[in-house]
Amino acid sequence: MLEGAELYFRVDHGYLEGCKASLLTQQDYINLVQCETLEDLKIHLQTTDYGNSLANQTNPLTMRKRLCGEFEYFQNHSLEPLSTFLTYMTCSYMIDYDSADEWCLQTKSVKEIPGTCHPLGPVNIAETSSDLFNAILVETPLAPFFQDCMSENSYLETFYKFCKNHGDVTAEVMCPVLEFEANRHTFINTINSFGTELSKEDWETLYPSFSKLYPEGLWLLAQAEDFDQIKSVADHYGVYKALFEAVGGSGGKTLEDEFYEHEVQMNVLAFNRQFHYSVFYAYVKLKEQEKRNIVWIAECISQRHRMKINSYIPIL
Amino acid sequence: MAAPDLRAELDSLLLQLLGDLEELEGKRAVLNARVEEGWLSLAKARYAMGAKSVGPLQYASHMEPQVCLHTSEAQEGLQKFKVVRAGVHTPEEVGPGEAALRRRKGPAKTPEPQSSEAPQDPLNWFGILVPHSLRQAQASFRDGLQLAADIASLQNRIDWGRNQLRELQEKLKQLEPGAA
Repeated sequence: MLEGAELYFRVDHGYLEGCKASLLTQQDYINLVQCETLEDLKIHLQTTDYGNSLANQTNPLTMRKRLCGEFEYFQNHSLEPLSTFLTYMTCSYMIDYDSADEWCLQTKSVKEIPGTCHPLGPVNIAETSSDLFNAILVETPLAPFFQDCMSENSYLETFYKFCKNHGDVTAEVMCPVLEFEANRHTFINTINSFGTELSKEDWETLYPSFSKLYPEGLWLLAQAEDFDQIKSVADHYGVYKALFEAVGGSGGKTLEDEFYEHEVQMNVLAFNRQFHYSVFYAYVKLKEQEKRNIVWIAECISQRHRMKINSYIPIL
Repeated sequence: MAAPDLRAELDSLLLQLLGDLEELEGKRAVLNARVEEGWLSLAKARYAMGAKSVGPLQYASHMEPQVCLHTSEAQEGLQKFKVVRAGVHTPEEVGPGEAALRRRKGPAKTPEPQSSEAPQDPLNWFGILVPHSLRQAQASFRDGLQLAADIASLQNRIDWGRNQLRELQEKLKQLEPGAA
């Protein structure tokens, strides 16, 4: 690696260390969980890095705006290839907003979306799941990288190839993370598809081709009819076997909870290596999990369901 | 009517009323539990899908109700409520009074007996691959709907019963002015 690049990395990494320190700690979560009302929760959050940004609103979109601001700062200061890496990260949110969902792939084709996959265009999006309101909050326009790839699956494959080509520590850290992400989508979507009209052939086109599950695991998953059959497929793969076995248990954890927990562990480990881009990815993902945690705690407080309030996933 | 008959009728009405009250309490508790479950499942769905993905932003611009409320009058002043799935043309029981088909939500229009096709499942507003928690929420709220109609009928019956009770007590007073 060029010396200049290392220096640059130090500057950026140093900044990110400061950002990493802004993540809520276990003590912060303990304080939040003990709140009786949403007002208490806001007061406690003011003592953390969120400061007064949530003082007047308890909207999760406010937290997202804050993260967007930080992310824009990274992007504005980045050079290639980091800026490409960061753009890849934003694309997943773009796709999230409109057509990554297989439902969208069925009801409208990519050609209906004008221009270079800009999600703000068609009115029919506003009538259904992804509103213009959501789209307005999207901070960066979708780059021309993804003209042909509008599914979550192809996005992951392209991102994976980019990281692998980049090589070095970034590839070492990012590739397993992206594989896990792809497999997670595969398992969760297969389970959620039970009872819907999607056929097995549709499924095979949506599965990723770069993960450990490819091709035998994916073929088996496409044949699965219920949760137990999916579990038996997962038993062939060490990591997923452990996750599936932990479902249920004493805490009543769902599969999504297990996947999120494992994702958090992988992202925290990313910070143990130096001079790679994955820290940015890990930071954003951990902030997302933190947002999910805070929203969950707030919902439990407002619905007075204190038994389930500890189901959040601690990060640090 | 003789006083003993009146008393007997009064007793049976009172017993009926107490039975209804007990049933009402039970159903209210179950309704509360279902609604709580529904909201918790929605929170879980938000956790899994993202807070922005499960909320009023996903509502369809044109909503078709999946169920309609059917009211019928069994006796004078006593209305019964029944939840009917949209698309069913004729109500099963027609009381001596009018039977009116009312839409519980959606655009207000004069009741039309025929509906051309089954309304779209609201679950599809959130995507085709929704997590299990969202389906659970829908099931909880559906049960809650049926219970709500039953509770409304019961409350009507209790009010009607109380009125009947009062009338009978008046009659009894007139017949036996000295009796309690």
